[in-house]
Amino acid sequence: MAEVQLVDVSLRDGNQSLWGATGLRTDHILQIAPVLNRVGFRALDFMSSTAMGVAVRTHREDPWERIRLTRAAMPDTPLQLIGTGFRFISWERAHPEVMQLVYERLVAAGISRFVLLDPMHDMDAVRRSARMVKRAGGTETILALTYTISAVHDDDFYAGIAAAAATSPYIDRAYIKDPAGLLTPERARTLIPAVRARLGGKPLELHAHCTIGLSPLVYLAAPDLGVSVLQTGCGALADGSSLPDAERVVANLRALGHTVDVDDRLLALAARYFSRLAAAEGLPSGRPQPYDEAFTRHQLAGGVLTTLRRQLSELGLEAKFGAVIEEVSRVRAELGYPIMVTPFPQMVMGQALSNVLSGGRYEVVPDQVIRYVLGSFGKPTAPVEPWVLDRILDRPRARELAGEPPPLSVAELRQRLPRGISDEELLLRFGMPAEEVDAMLAAAPAARHYTPEVQPVLRLLRELGSRPPVSRLVVDKPGFRLSLTRDRADA
Amino acid sequence: MILRRVLIANRGEIAVRVMRTCRRLGIETVLAVSAADADSVPARLADKTIEITSYLDVDAVMEAATAAGADAVHPGYGFLSENPRLARACEAAGVVFIGPSADVLEAAGDKLAARAHAVAAGLPVLPGGLVRIGATGADGAPGAADAAGLAERIGYPVLVKAAGGGGGRGLRVVRDPAELAGAVAVGSAEAEAAFGDARVYLERYVFPARHVEVQVLGDGENVIHLGDRDCSVQRRYQKLIEEAPAPRLGETLRVGMRTAAVALGLHLKYQGLGTVEFLADAGRSEFWFLEVNARIQVEHPVTEAVTGLDLVAEQIAVAEGRRLWLSQASVRLDGHAIECRINAEDPAAGFRPCPGTVTSAVFPAGPGIRVDTHIQAGSAVPPQYDSLLAKLIVSGASRAEALGRMRGALARCEIGGVATTLPALTALAADGEFAAGGVGTEYLARWLGRETQLVRDKSG
Repeated sequence: MAEVQLVDVSLRDGNQSLWGATGLRTDHILQIAPVLNRVGFRALDFMSSTAMGVAVRTHREDPWERIRLTRAAMPDTPLQLIGTGFRFISWERAHPEVMQLVYERLVAAGISRFVLLDPMHDMDAVRRSARMVKRAGGTETILALTYTISAVHDDDFYAGIAAAAATSPYIDRAYIKDPAGLLTPERARTLIPAVRARLGGKPLELHAHCTIGLSPLVYLAAPDLGVSVLQTGCGALADGSSLPDAERVVANLRALGHTVDVDDRLLALAARYFSRLAAAEGLPSGRPQPYDEAFTRHQLAGGVLTTLRRQLSELGLEAKFGAVIEEVSRVRAELGYPIMVTPFPQMVMGQALSNVLSGGRYEVVPDQVIRYVLGSFGKPTAPVEPWVLDRILDRPRARELAGEPPPLSVAELRQRLPRGISDEELLLRFGMPAEEVDAMLAAAPAARHYTPEVQPVLRLLRELGSRPPVSRLVVDKPGFRLSLTRDRADA
Repeated sequence: MILRRVLIANRGEIAVRVMRTCRRLGIETVLAVSAADADSVPARLADKTIEITSYLDVDAVMEAATAAGADAVHPGYGFLSENPRLARACEAAGVVFIGPSADVLEAAGDKLAARAHAVAAGLPVLPGGLVRIGATGADGAPGAADAAGLAERIGYPVLVKAAGGGGGRGLRVVRDPAELAGAVAVGSAEAEAAFGDARVYLERYVFPARHVEVQVLGDGENVIHLGDRDCSVQRRYQKLIEEAPAPRLGETLRVGMRTAAVALGLHLKYQGLGTVEFLADAGRSEFWFLEVNARIQVEHPVTEAVTGLDLVAEQIAVAEGRRLWLSQASVRLDGHAIECRINAEDPAAGFRPCPGTVTSAVFPAGPGIRVDTHIQAGSAVPPQYDSLLAKLIVSGASRAEALGRMRGALARCEIGGVATTLPALTALAADGEFAAGGVGTEYLARWLGRETQLVRDKSG
């Protein structure tokens, strides 16, 4: 019987998977942070550069301040950031100096654990990033072994990556990351031991989304196979396209005889909080998912599918939905099986859409695809189909992008950006349009407290306050009557 | 260590206040309640209650903590909050006492010891010293001097103070040397009765002066201040209105007091939340150490309003053995806050306590308005406890804005069934002298006299 630890993903991956990364604000997080701190999680999946961008763009909140305040509110549980190691907020490749500065500022603000997710499993790149994190003072690095089903991603492939991680002094542990929730218990029984055997004794974690309902079962098999940490969600931010529900996982593991040292009362409190928040804000709650065989082929996450359906219906082309999905599988194979994690689902989908809707295949090629083929994101796992490669590179735009100047160094950025700004602001301005950063800086500081049940009343009051004054307001229902009349003296 | 269950050994609004933070932090609350408080709002808000015979009984509180399986005791203010015996009993039982160490409580509780520490830390103290009483008992204390000679050296008027006391009890002003012996005898007897400690000491009586205090927070190694408060609006040493920051103090005096408070905190290796009280003469830019309150204060919300901090959470963090997460530079003091104590006392009858049953309780809400209370319609106000019903805390970007909110908010407070200090607070809020800011400790008595005269004139 094993001792299992949990990493909670509600605040980052839960919010991203179920609430489009825009659901949670700083006040939502700070309200529950002290409770999450006391549950006994090994760490919290907390931030990504994308989430930092969303804080600025959608909520006009300073993401650095959010990290600092959360760190203060939860001093015992390490906060984790997930990143590719080559970009910060914007999709463009960042200069290594800029990435070094990113890590330094993140550590100073309160991030201590870093997930290194290179979508191509480029181990040279991962080792470089891990070294930068350690130099910046990060305490824990964790390599992502991103799981997918393809002609090239077999157990040996992942074992090879694990072996590369085993020899790096800068990589502390690894996790199997299954962003699409494709891992079955059967495959787990060969994959996990294969990875463990080559990982050199470094701890292994598991992170599998519930997309088609498989991961809760995989989680029950994992501890016996040598996984020491399971990544889970809480309440409304579990299940669905998020991760398995922590309360259920704990109950099931204990039923199997494993030990999970978490405070059940506080775990329940946290879970109820996210459910109360979802109800107050009109956000969906994750639900257990039915199995869907077709999904194992296109591997598109729920959010991407929803967006596609909406785009097609706006164009009056709902009938093309099936054709586009078919095309996704084809494009993915031709591009060398990019793993369907950000930014690749969007990229593959974009190409599939233009292949179906424009005159012919690869007639129109989005810049992201050209950059991918040019190797801007690293070396594709399998070679790109030669005719596709020629077709993409044999166009003026490809030559333009190939001739793009290298990314700017920190010194060059300082020259171009306003003088005297902090490093934190410099990095935001590097990754985002100036007007968005300006708007965030001009906004009032984020609120620090949040009570779900009060929100409807606050909304009502805000609405009333924003309208021309009414002389009388009456709420009438059986057994209750509230009547407010405008006071002439105050008018 | 992480605290998971806290026994709150207190009642009233402070019990509710501590529970609110515990709930936010995910800490279970067990409230020790007396029979008189079994149906109180705090009793209903707590996760669990456990009956005790008295809030002043150390053994009862410890038994309750053990029975409840609490891993800490929060003593609130008053009652056992500064009792070193409770702190030691907690330590012996392996329960965390949410407050300073027993040694610090002893040092702060004995006013003469506190005075000695203040001197050692370089703080200015008023001329004074311990009085020799009779041939037995307290006269054995080292350094005790003959009262008459001591008073001559200090210069009249002098103040007779209880060494083991607090809360204004045992205090006596002596202006005429002929009254000294009597005042010392009565003060000593009163101190013996109230604190079980007959020792009294003399200090120069400064008049007029202001009562200004500095909030400090320490982790045993680092100590920071969280700004100052003015508590000069008081009657017989009972505060009625407090504010932060102290108005019209002057930067030299303000910085001097804050620096002195931190110096004393460092000297005591202070752990937790505490207040260093000073007497200040703003006109001459002088200040003197008064005492240390080694607990959370009634008036802590005005500091919370201007710092944005949760002081109970800071207490708990230190009790969990954490280093301060704040540095002095990271503490920001913004705006102004005023607290009004709404007591069940009749200002028209010399502030006589008015126990009874609250029949209606309506409090205001809105931006810059906070109400800390444990009462609602139907709440009992038992005669055996402190008469504090509620604290109205208003804040704004400036003192003028806070004062405007105070007037509006007081007008919206309605408490029925018992007489309250609301009429006095409302009248004070309208008084020009208070509005100007910077009144001394003599102000309230003077104002009351004027008001009484006004009432007499009108009715006459």
